[in-house]
Amino acid sequence: MSSAPYDQVQVLYRTLLVFATVAVVILAVGLVEFVYFEPPGQATGVKARIVGIYKYDPSTGTTLGSDRSAFTRTQDFAAVVDWSGLPPDLNVDARWYDAFGSIVGRVGPSTPAKLGNSTTVAIITPQGLHHNLPGDYTFVVERLQGGLPVEVLARRIVLVES
Amino acid sequence: MATSTYTTPPAANPHPRLRPGRYGIAVAITAVVVIALVISSLLNYVYLDTIPGRTSLYGLLAVALVSLGTYIGVRAFTRDRAIRRKQLIRAGVLLGLGTLLWLLVIDIFVFTQAAGPGVAAISALACIPTTAFGLFVVRRMDRNEKEPWRLVLVAAAWGAIVATSLVIWGETIWDQVAQQTLVPGPGLDASTAFSAGLLEELAKGLAVVLLFLVMRNDFDDVVDGIVYGAAVGMGFNFLESIAYMTNLYAIFSPDGLGWYAAGFQWYGRQVLGLFFGHATYTAFIGAGLGIARQLPKKRQKAFAIVSGFLVAIAGHFSWDAWVQFFPIDNTLFGLVEMHLRTLIMTGPFTAAVIALLIFGIRYEAMGLVDQFKKEAATGAGAILPEDVPILASPWRRLRQRLRAFRRGGLRAYLEVARLQTGQLDLAMERWHRERQEIETPLEAEDALRQRVIQLRHWVPAA
Repeated sequence: MSSAPYDQVQVLYRTLLVFATVAVVILAVGLVEFVYFEPPGQATGVKARIVGIYKYDPSTGTTLGSDRSAFTRTQDFAAVVDWSGLPPDLNVDARWYDAFGSIVGRVGPSTPAKLGNSTTVAIITPQGLHHNLPGDYTFVVERLQGGLPVEVLARRIVLVES
Repeated sequence: MATSTYTTPPAANPHPRLRPGRYGIAVAITAVVVIALVISSLLNYVYLDTIPGRTSLYGLLAVALVSLGTYIGVRAFTRDRAIRRKQLIRAGVLLGLGTLLWLLVIDIFVFTQAAGPGVAAISALACIPTTAFGLFVVRRMDRNEKEPWRLVLVAAAWGAIVATSLVIWGETIWDQVAQQTLVPGPGLDASTAFSAGLLEELAKGLAVVLLFLVMRNDFDDVVDGIVYGAAVGMGFNFLESIAYMTNLYAIFSPDGLGWYAAGFQWYGRQVLGLFFGHATYTAFIGAGLGIARQLPKKRQKAFAIVSGFLVAIAGHFSWDAWVQFFPIDNTLFGLVEMHLRTLIMTGPFTAAVIALLIFGIRYEAMGLVDQFKKEAATGAGAILPEDVPILASPWRRLRQRLRAFRRGGLRAYLEVARLQTGQLDLAMERWHRERQEIETPLEAEDALRQRVIQLRHWVPAA
C-alpha cells in the first residue's frame, strides 16, 4: 500500500470551506428574512393606547375587574384598546400571541376609524384544549404595510401561570 | 525498567518548559466560563424568586466541583501510576459530589417545579438508554483508534451540564429584548433562531476547543473531532430532551395529553433527532478543530476552526428558523411528515458530516498502515511484518482478540486488546511526528515503543 499523500488534509480543508460557504449563504438568507420582516426605518412615532388587560366573560363579551398582568390557565382574558388616538387612515390590527408564537386572538386589519367599536380583543383557547397554554402572552397593536406588520404601536405582555 | 512506570508518552517529556501556549489559552477559556457561570448564578439569585435563586447557587457549586473533578481526572492519566491513583480518587469524589448537587438542582427546581419529580425521573430514565446507545455508536465510528471513554463521557457531561448552564441567561436576555422590541412573527422567530444557533453552539463548542487544547494526544484528526463534537451534542440533547419532556408534560397534562406530549418529545429528540440535531451540529465544530489539528499554517487552522463553527451555527439556525415552514398535520400522516421534515432539513448536514467522517477514517487508515509498515521495517519488535495486515483491518483485529479469548479467556482477550491499542498508538505517534504536528519529544515515542514490546512479551502468541 502506498504512503498517505499529504494533500488529503487539504482536501478535507477545502471540503469544509465549501460547507462553510453554504453556511454563510444560509445565515445571509436568515439575515435577509429578518430584515424583510423587521424592515428598518419604519418608526412613525405613532403610539397606540392599550387601556388594560382584564378578565373576560365570553358569554356576555364583556371584561371584568381591574387591569392585570397574570392569569391562571382557566381564566379567559382580553385586552382593551383605545383606537381613538391613532390617525384614522392607518392600516392596523391587534393580535394576541401565546408563548409558542401562535396567534390566539385578533381584530383587524383595518383602519382605526373602522375598528372604533372593536375595542375588546379576547384570547381564544386553542382547538382541542380545555385550558389556555401557560407562559408569556404578548398583545400587540401593529401597523401594517403591504399586508405585513412592520411596526408595533403598543405592546403588553401577561403571564399565564402553569 | 524505568519506563514501566510510565503509562502514556507525555510522561517521558523531561522538559516542562516545552509546555505549549495552548494550555494558557485553555486556562483563559476556563476562567471565562467560570466567570460566566458565576454571573449567571448571581443573576438567578437576584432576579428569580427565592427557591430558584438558592438552587442556582447550589448549581454553581456543582459546576465548580464537576469542572475541578474533570480537570484532575483528565490530568491524572498523564501522571505516573502512584500519583494517578490518588488523583483519580480525588476526581471521583469531586465528580460524585458535583453530580449529586446537580441532580438536586434538577430535581428540586427545574423539573419538580414544572411536572414533579416522578415525571422528571421517568423522563431521565427514558433518555439514558438512547443517549448511551448514541454515545456507543459515535465512539465506535472511530474504527482505527477509539477515543477513551473518560473523554467521551467528559464531553457529554459538558454538553449536558456546563453548556446548558452557560446559555440559560444569554438566551433569556436575548429573547426578552427581542420580545420587547421586535414585531412578533417570522422576524422574531429568526432572531430567536440566531440566538439559539450562536449561543448554544458556542457553549457546546467550548468543550471541544478545550479538549483540542488540553488533550492533544487524544485529539488526532478530523475523526476524533467529530466523535468529541457529537458526544458534546448528545449530552446537550440529553438534558434538553428531559427539559422539554417535563415542560410539555406540565403544559398538556391538565388536558389529559401530558404523557402523549412527553412521549412525542422523547421520540423526536431521542430517536429521530439523536444523530440529526445537536450531535450533527457540534460534530462540525469538532471536524473543524480536527482538520485544524493537521494543517500546517496558522491561517488555515483559523479558517478551519471558524468554518466548523459557522456550519454548526448555520445548521442549528436553519432548523430553528425554518421548521415552522414545515408544519406537521395532526393526523396519522403527520408521523410521515415529521420524519420527512427531519430528513429534509437536517439530513443534508448529517450527510455532510458523515462524508467528512468517512473521508477522515480512510485517510487516517492510510496513514496508520504506512506507519505500521515503517515501524515493522525498523526491526525494533513493537510491530512485526505479520502484524501489519491484522492491524490494518478492524475485523482482523477483532478476530485476533477472539482467537485469544478462545485460547486464554477474557484475560488473554484484554491483553491482546491492550497490545493492539499500544501498536495503534505508536503508529499514530509516528504519523504525527512524520507530519511534524506533535510537540512531545522523541523520548515519548521510545517509551511507547518499549511499552508495546513489553506488552508483546506478556501476550501469548495469537
